[in-house]
Amino acid sequence: MRYLQRTGRRSLPGRPARLATAAILAATALAACGGGAGDDSGGAAAAGGPTAPATVPELTDDPLTLSFIWFEWPPAQALEDFANAEYSKERPNVTIEVNTVPNANWHDAMFTQFAARQTDFDIPILDSQHIGEAVTNGNILDITDFVNENIEVDAYDPYLLAAYGQYPQAETGQRDEDASLYGLPLLGDTWTMIYRKDLIGDEPPKTWDEMIDAAQKCQDENPGVSGLAFHQANGSDAAAVTYNTVNGVYGGNLWNAEDKTVEGVINDEAGQKAMDVLVNEMKPLTAKGSGNWFIDEVNAAVAQGKACIAFQWIAAAGGLVDPAQSTLGKTEDEILDKLGFATLPTQDADVVPLGGMGMHISAYAPSERQAEALNFMKWFEQEDIQKKWAAAGGVPARTDALESPEFLEAGPFNQVYADSVSRMRDMWNVPEYARLIDIENTNVNAALNGAKDPEQALDDIASEQQRVLDSAGGGGL
Amino acid sequence: MTTTKDHPVQEAHAAAPPAPGGSPRLSDRGLAVAFISPALLLLLGMSVFPLLWALYLSFTDYSATRDVPANFVGVENYTNILTSDQVHQRALTTLLYVVGAVTLQTVLGFAIAFLISRRTHGRGALTTMFLVPMMLSPVVVGLFWKFMLDAQFGVINSMLGSLGLGQVEWLTRQRTALISLIVVDTWQWTPFIMLIALAGLTAVPKYLYEAASIDRASEWFRFRHITLPMVWPLLLIAIMFRAIEAFRLFDLVYILTSGGPGVSTETLSFHVYKVAFLGFNTGTASAYGILMVLVVIVLAQFYLRYLNKLKEG
Repeated sequence: MRYLQRTGRRSLPGRPARLATAAILAATALAACGGGAGDDSGGAAAAGGPTAPATVPELTDDPLTLSFIWFEWPPAQALEDFANAEYSKERPNVTIEVNTVPNANWHDAMFTQFAARQTDFDIPILDSQHIGEAVTNGNILDITDFVNENIEVDAYDPYLLAAYGQYPQAETGQRDEDASLYGLPLLGDTWTMIYRKDLIGDEPPKTWDEMIDAAQKCQDENPGVSGLAFHQANGSDAAAVTYNTVNGVYGGNLWNAEDKTVEGVINDEAGQKAMDVLVNEMKPLTAKGSGNWFIDEVNAAVAQGKACIAFQWIAAAGGLVDPAQSTLGKTEDEILDKLGFATLPTQDADVVPLGGMGMHISAYAPSERQAEALNFMKWFEQEDIQKKWAAAGGVPARTDALESPEFLEAGPFNQVYADSVSRMRDMWNVPEYARLIDIENTNVNAALNGAKDPEQALDDIASEQQRVLDSAGGGGL
Repeated sequence: MTTTKDHPVQEAHAAAPPAPGGSPRLSDRGLAVAFISPALLLLLGMSVFPLLWALYLSFTDYSATRDVPANFVGVENYTNILTSDQVHQRALTTLLYVVGAVTLQTVLGFAIAFLISRRTHGRGALTTMFLVPMMLSPVVVGLFWKFMLDAQFGVINSMLGSLGLGQVEWLTRQRTALISLIVVDTWQWTPFIMLIALAGLTAVPKYLYEAASIDRASEWFRFRHITLPMVWPLLLIAIMFRAIEAFRLFDLVYILTSGGPGVSTETLSFHVYKVAFLGFNTGTASAYGILMVLVVIVLAQFYLRYLNKLKEG
């Protein structure tokens, strides 16, 4: 009976239900259009970044957790420990959390949340090159007034202050006093050359050519030990920074920042020479299968005594003198009898890569946490705190802290950093950075691993990067 | 005539008392709507709406991070993708990967299932053991294979070394990197084919083999004319599932090679990820995703038609 009654009846949703469903979908789509892509009401105001107050607003006495986001590496844990130990003396109700993601996800983890206009972090630790993208999209606060009011700007090397916070980008070695600031230095960094004193002698090579000769000789004389170890992976900025460093050493340039020209600049004679040296002279001195090496793999090769000369970020080199992580000695002194740390050799130019990161404030953080973030920055950039940060394993940016015994005696590589500050060169910090670095990374990695002719790889970098810069803000692949 | 037959039925229904325990206010239809509406809303919210939204975005130059309104660009995103050499290269890589991985998995999966089906003892334990890789997360699988395939410290090269063979750069050479991906995927997903094939093999009627034995048919004859034709339709469905899965491979590439060396192991899905989350070209990435869905749907339709023909034949 039931079946008979149902025969001939329309299927369950029925016409009205289908119409209602269509209406709901259309309404939802329109609502989403209004709130997202098509909404420029708040967007226009936000473009360029909301501005932070010149003074720290009133702080809450309620328990508060201030969240950072960084990538997983030793300085992240060091920062959390240091901040909780020291900042809580001033603000006992505040807990600091440094949340980390794998290095390869670092950019995505921050910018996907920025895209949602909602962040679960208050202080994003941006790479210096991320600033342009974050500023253009209005993701971080403009703290120019705050810095002028609360920070001793004269206490810094002007370029360090600019590199981690200024947009538009500072020219190497200079700072534009009139430009806006969007961040303050958290951790300075550059490459150090790590060399085996017991294999190549106490004196480090002075020029790049001498370095390659020393690595070759060491490799020939020590079977099982490769001449060189450096970053070659195609994730993050690994292979790109390696090429950029060699490019700088041989007198090349990445682009002409004024007219945004890459074509004919990066692949000029100096650029081609740098690529030739990297692929045909340096790569043959590396371990087999090292084409995907980055920070951890280079550290492992050094700690296990498998490399004569290596290049590494100073902030990531701390574990190399830890006897628990090294086969080179049972004490730090024994390890340091074998390992030396030096500034990068020069060749046609005297350039080293700028690393490190700055602190910024999420435009989407609640106001009480933005206020706390400003207070934290003001606290962190004081002379005595910067010295304590140096003693805790951090790399400060204030000149007085950089020259202090607390910093210089905290690690065997810290003098290298202090000596390198005046030689630093950064990459582009334009909004298209993520695409530019991917183009360079994949092409240099291809050249290093025999998947592409080196000259062709460099020409491809030039043409593809130029295409991205020329279509700034547009879509494309 | 029809009405005279229908009326008594309707009258009888109208006169019947309500079902015990049923709500007098909720009709059958209302109850049905109440039951399916949560699932329907979930489906609309989580699948249908995002798909329609992505379709809309695919005709715009929208970027999720840039604070500018979306502009309608027609089919420009689609033409850019379809005419791009970069996309053609990734499509070829994906095709090589799908063909290599699915072929290898089918041959191995069927062979293992065939061998297991001939055992009378320990079949359950063996089947369970073979299924373990399938139950692991692809990220976990990728990470431990990355260690195993490491040219310097990996166990695979260590074994090759002990056999007197040289080191192989599994993940950093153009040819071996794609092969490594295929091998890892095969290790994880051969059990899926095996499971389906095993179900088909155990369903083959025994009397067919008995009849073949009476006719003194050879092992090969029995396999070729009884086993394979009976299992083939089921195997084809398993192949389709695996091909669709392999077509959208992302996780293993991300963990093992990051698409390298260079871009030589970048699949279409990995490329979409880069377009969407490195360049944040959301409009282009949406068009890219829609095109990939279309390709899968069209190919699956052809494949299903072939399966139906096979069934009818």
